[in-house]
Formats: sequence, structure tokens, C-alpha cells
Amino acid sequence: MDVVTTDRPPGQEASKVAEAYPSLLLGDHSLCPGCGEPVALRILLETLQEMDLVQKTIAVVGHGCYGNFVQIIDLDCTLCLHGRAPASATGMKRMRPGSVVFTMQGDGDMVNEGLAEIVHAAARGENITCILLNNGVFGDTGGQQTATTVIGQRTKTSLEGRDPALHGHPIQIADIIAGLDGVGYVARGAVGTVRGVARTKKMIREAFESQLAGEGLSLVEILTMCPTGWFVTAPEGPDYLGESMESVYPMGELRARPNGEAG
Amino acid sequence: MERSVLMVGIGGQGIQLIGKTLALAATESGLNAMLAADYGGEMRGGTSQATAVVGDGPIRALPILPRTDSAIVMHDKFSGAVPERLDADGFLMLNSSIVDPAKAEGDHTLVSLPATDMAREIDAPQAAGLLMLGAFCRLTGIADHDHLVAAMTSLLPPYRAQHAETNSRALAAGAAAVSERDLAAVSV
Amino acid sequence: MSAVAQPAKLELLEGTTAIARAAILSDCRFFTGYPMSPFTGLLESMSDLMPKSGGSCVNVESEIEGVNMTLGAAATGARAATGSCGQGVALMQEAIAEASLNETPIVIFNMARNQQDYFQCTRGGGWGDYRTLTLAPKDVPEAVEHTQLLFHLADKYRVPTILYGDPLIAQTRVGVRLQPLDLPALPPKDWALDGSLGGTGRSRQIWTWALGKRNAPGPGPDRHWQELAEKFESMAASEQRWEAQHVDDAETVVVAFGSAGKFTEYVVDELREEGHQIGHFRPITLWPFPGEALAEATRGARRVLVFELNAGQMIEDVRQFADDRKAIRAIGGISSADSGLSFGPLLDAPEIRGRIIAALKEEA
Repeated sequence: MDVVTTDRPPGQEASKVAEAYPSLLLGDHSLCPGCGEPVALRILLETLQEMDLVQKTIAVVGHGCYGNFVQIIDLDCTLCLHGRAPASATGMKRMRPGSVVFTMQGDGDMVNEGLAEIVHAAARGENITCILLNNGVFGDTGGQQTATTVIGQRTKTSLEGRDPALHGHPIQIADIIAGLDGVGYVARGAVGTVRGVARTKKMIREAFESQLAGEGLSLVEILTMCPTGWFVTAPEGPDYLGESMESVYPMGELRARPNGEAG
Repeated sequence: MERSVLMVGIGGQGIQLIGKTLALAATESGLNAMLAADYGGEMRGGTSQATAVVGDGPIRALPILPRTDSAIVMHDKFSGAVPERLDADGFLMLNSSIVDPAKAEGDHTLVSLPATDMAREIDAPQAAGLLMLGAFCRLTGIADHDHLVAAMTSLLPPYRAQHAETNSRALAAGAAAVSERDLAAVSV
Repeated sequence: MSAVAQPAKLELLEGTTAIARAAILSDCRFFTGYPMSPFTGLLESMSDLMPKSGGSCVNVESEIEGVNMTLGAAATGARAATGSCGQGVALMQEAIAEASLNETPIVIFNMARNQQDYFQCTRGGGWGDYRTLTLAPKDVPEAVEHTQLLFHLADKYRVPTILYGDPLIAQTRVGVRLQPLDLPALPPKDWALDGSLGGTGRSRQIWTWALGKRNAPGPGPDRHWQELAEKFESMAASEQRWEAQHVDDAETVVVAFGSAGKFTEYVVDELREEGHQIGHFRPITLWPFPGEALAEATRGARRVLVFELNAGQMIEDVRQFADDRKAIRAIGGISSADSGLSFGPLLDAPEIRGRIIAALKEEA
């Protein structure tokens, strides 16, 4: 076997032997460097491929930076009205129960505008999977406060940092949803660390398994980095996520699947 | 050819039920029918009226009728003994247990029946309206007994189904109470 | 559709029940609603009948939720509808514009409380250059036909369509025949989302911005919205509907829509019999408004009497098209019951007759 030494530059050009780029991505995203949303998207698409669900999945994407994903995901999809994805997904799943239907929404979309929709879809036990990309800020419109912004976080509408006396408290939507009858699986992950990415991917799989088993609504909240919205540099994003958000939104399964078994 | 009948009374007398019964009976016997309803918010004692129109072809009459060729007055509290929109030469039936026929002057043909008292007598106190309807239909031929009974039975909600038999007796009693003289008066 | 051997039998149905049955006859499989008078009967009928015919009806927690569910269902290719009265349809405006601009066919039943939603269903309160095709039936039998037509036209043009109902249409019981209309076949909905094209490079996208995907770019908002505007213009040219009686020699033409049109037609017929040279024009599509037909019908008329139960909404469209604007008079007005839920005393033949006679007596 030829051993390639590493104490000097290689003598031959590198050649691509495999592509780790998911085939479901039709192009590069246009989001900020350091954004956690494309990471979440990637593990979701990989999961769909691994579970062989690609040719029966419909994506309902909300409004935010991630909205542009509708241009690069090779899935039947729609970009629906802000906050309404769980309602739209409900109509879709009821008409096509054999499809796998998921929503992809930011915190502003799901917890501000769409609070009623997610709560009612969960209580009604609609068999859809909702993915919440939570970065605690309205990224697409420039970084305003949302219902999940943590205390002390500076945003364009809470410049001195979120203050409960002025701006109230953040809402832990996953905990609320986990407490409703009609829910099949609720978990919270984060993509700021390698370990987080791996755990979150498992949660996504569990959620889709739950949908396939008809257990009710499944929700995976995914904490994502938003260095632009947080006024930090891209490399600082993951640490900032861990320090500022994970104590308010701890990772883990908030509502295990009915039989409690892993998928 | 269209015929109209305005039914008026107060809430609780079954005005809406007799209106629906008449319209449904006519429909089931192959005629065109329309029923317009108007009632107040109160469950009992408020105004209640229904107008049924029956005809051979698609109904041309308006859902708020400017005039009617016949009327049944179970209670005169909101309409007076002679409803304003009754044709001058129309046909009027009064529930004389409550409405004083002396108040019903005019060129219309008048038939009075003490429907409320009669209903009590046959132990069907809630069915005075149906008793009156039975008489009305016997007099005018607008719907026959069998269709009326079938319609009434199908209209009863589950929690009133036990009244079907009593209601049926009331319809029959009303028809039976029609005298030869009344029939003669109406056919003129 | 084969020739019908026997007509459907006559059934005495309350208006909202008849509309529900007509929708199911049109293969509507999804319905949402929130209780609100006088729409509630339609929701109740659908709750009862829809599951029995294999469809789905959701009593939703808000009108916004409902219309968005309906959008989702329609996006998968199912015939889907929702409804309310004007107040609830007001909440749905964003979604109705969305459906118009991302070409998702849905039917909206406005069982209105009065005639005061004319602007809402013709101008709309949504966003952007969007249109909705609106039909205003005069009675229950016409509503049964219009319901079927609305599902057909929604699919044909991929556009939201509206039925303008009212308390009389909702609550009157009439003998109707639920006869399927003979409508032309429509192409399959290859744009509908069912997941099946995932991973093929040809997956579908429903988006008002229509930018398409990296491997298959779309027209983008600029061209897409321009193309939609052209589509609406062509709809406007070919889908106008109206009814006119006795207009050829009429000195006076009465114009009304919906239930009011049934009343004015009745009175005009009466006045004709009495020798008046009076005619009647009833727009059936509120959008597209039958402007040229109105112009034709009012040519030579000295008086154009607009009767509507509001402060003057359709009259703006009449002014646009009537042959002689100076001939136009408003003879209607707001008229509400004390409950606020239904028509007031003006919707009555003797009242209307009185107003027409008074107008005839005025100097032209």
C-alpha cells in the first residue's frame, strides 16, 4: 500500500471520490455564514433519505430566512403564510394521509404569529411533524425580538437587552406542546455542537417515526445559531448558543413516544 | 299556481314545526315548496311566524311575502287577529281558544277552531298547532294526512321522537273537526 | 358527464344544507368553518355530511386557521372550501390574496348578514394585484347551481372563488333538485403537491414569489404577477354573468344583486304588467362585473335605479359602465334588523315598489 506522507504537500492533485452533499439539495443556501438553519435542514433531508420517505414527503415552509429553502430542496413544497404552516399541513395531511407532511418554521413564525395554529394542531392530534428553528430572533427582518428571545438578549426592539418588566418573558413552546393530549413526540435539540447535531438528527428520526405510526403531532425544536441576529461573529455563534439559550431551552426529549421505545 | 299560508303565533306553540311539516309534506308529495321563517331570540313567548308557499313549478314567491292568500293565527299578540298581509278575500283560520273571532272582521273567509282547548281534550296539549294544521289541510287540500304524518315524524329531533304518536293524533283530530259547513265556506 | 335520464328528486332543504349538498356533489372533500351567523348552518351541515362522503370537516379555532387549512388541502389537489360571514371573511383576506397569487383553487362561502360586503368580495382587503371570482345568487336554487360552478371555475383558473350568500339564502327552506351541472372536463392537477416528485429534480413548488428552484428557476414575482394580471383580465373578459328583463324599450332600469335582485325583479314584473316601461338588470358575477352588458341594458334609459342594501357599493361599478351616468339614482340604503344579523324592513316588495314609484314620479 502506498503511504502518503504528511510532512510535505502532496505530490498529486486531490480528486473527489465521493460527495457528501445530500442529493436533495439543488444548490447552496444563501444564508449568513455561521447560520444554524442550513445544518438543521441538512440533517432533516438526510433523515428523509435514510428513512426512504423522499417520494412521499410534502414540506410546508414558513416565513423567515429559511423560507428560501423552498428553492433548494428537491421535495414537493410550499411556502405558506407566516404562522399558518401547521394549519396548512393539517389540510394536506387530511387529504393525503399516505404522505409525510412536515412544517419548517422559525420562532417568530411558530411562537409569535402562529401560536394558535401550533397549539390547536397539537391538541387536535394532527399527524404532522413540526420543526421549529429557534434562534430567538426575527432574523429575516433584521433581528427583532420574538416570543423566544431570552432575557438579556439584545435585539433591534430590545436594544438594552430583553427586560421582563418591559418585554415580558420567553415562551418555551415545546414544553407547552409536550403537555397536550394529542401529541406523539416532542424533543428539543441544538446544532451548535457535533454532539448536538447527532442527537438532534435522532430526534428528527423519532419524530417522523411517530408520524408514520400515527401517534399525533410531533415537534422537534432545534436551537440554531444566528450570529448576525445576535451581533456576534460566525465562529462565536455555537458558544453563544450554548451559553445564552441552552439554559432556557434545555435539550432532551420532552415527551417520549407512547411506547417509550427508541425508533 | 302558487298558494301561500302565513302561520303566526308565539314561541312555544310549534309554529316552526307546523311550517316545516306543511312544506315537507308538500315536497314529499311532489310539489314545489318554500318555507320562510322569522322568529325572535326568545325561546318561549316571543314572536314566531312561518310562511309556506306551495306550487306546481319552481317557486317564484319572495322569501318575504308582500301578501298571502291564507293565514293561520294561533296567537294574535304580534299580528292581530287579521294579519296585515292577508289578501282581503283570503282564507283565515283562527285559534278561537286564544283569539276572539269578533276581532276578525273583513271580507276574508273565516274558520275558527278552539285548537288549544281541543288539543288539551285529546291529551295533546303541546300539539295545538298541528291540530290546526290538520284542519287547514283538510279544508284546503294543500297536503294529505299521510304525507303530513310522515313529514312531522321525520322532522322531530331525537329528543322529541316520543311525541310522534300524540302529534299524529292531533293532526287527525284537526281534520276530523272540520265541518261540512266549513268545507262549503272554503270552496266558495 | 353522461346525459341524465331522470331529474334528481325534489328535496325540501334549508339553504345552507342545500349548499353543503351541492358542494359535496361537486366533490368537495375538505371544509373548515368557525360558527358565525348566518354561516353556522353550513358548518353544521358539513360536519354532518362531509365525513359520510369520505371527506374531512374541521370546526376550527379561528377563521384564519380555517382558511389556511383549506389552502393546504387545496394545495394537494383536493377540492376544498371554507366560509363565514363578512366579519370572518375579513380575517381571511391575507390568505385569499395568497391563494389568488399562488394559484391555489379554493371556494369561500360568504353567508353574509347583509349586502354590505360587496366591496369586500370585489375589491378585497388582501394584498397585491389579486382577483377573486364572485357569484351572487338570488335564491337557494341558484345558490345550488353557483356552488357547483364555483368549484369548477376555481379549478379551471386556479383562483379563489366566492359565493355571496345572505340570511335569506341561508335560512329559507326550498324544494330543490340536486342536479349535477353538465360542466366541461378539466385537465388533471399536475401542479398539486403529493410528495411523489421528491428527489427527482422535478419536485413541485407553490409560492407567491414563484422563484422556482435552483435547477428550474421560475418567473419570479415580477413576471409571475404580471402573468397573473393577464390571467385575471382574460377571466374578466370571458366569465361575466348577468340577467336582464324588459330592457330593450325600458325608460327605467332597476339594478340589483343577490336576494335584493329577486325582490326587485318581482316588483318590476308587477310594474310592467301595469304598463310601466321598466326593465331589470341583475349582475350575477360581482367580479367580473358585467359592465358592457349593463351599458347595453341601460342604453336609452332615462333612469337607472340602483337598489342595494348598503350605503352605496355596487353603484360605483354601475357608474363606471352605465350608458348615462346622470341617469343613475340610488334607491336602496343600509337596512338592518335590530339583531344586526339580518336584513331590515327595506328588503320588502311594498317598500321597494314605493321607492321605484317615487323615482318614476321625479323629473327625469
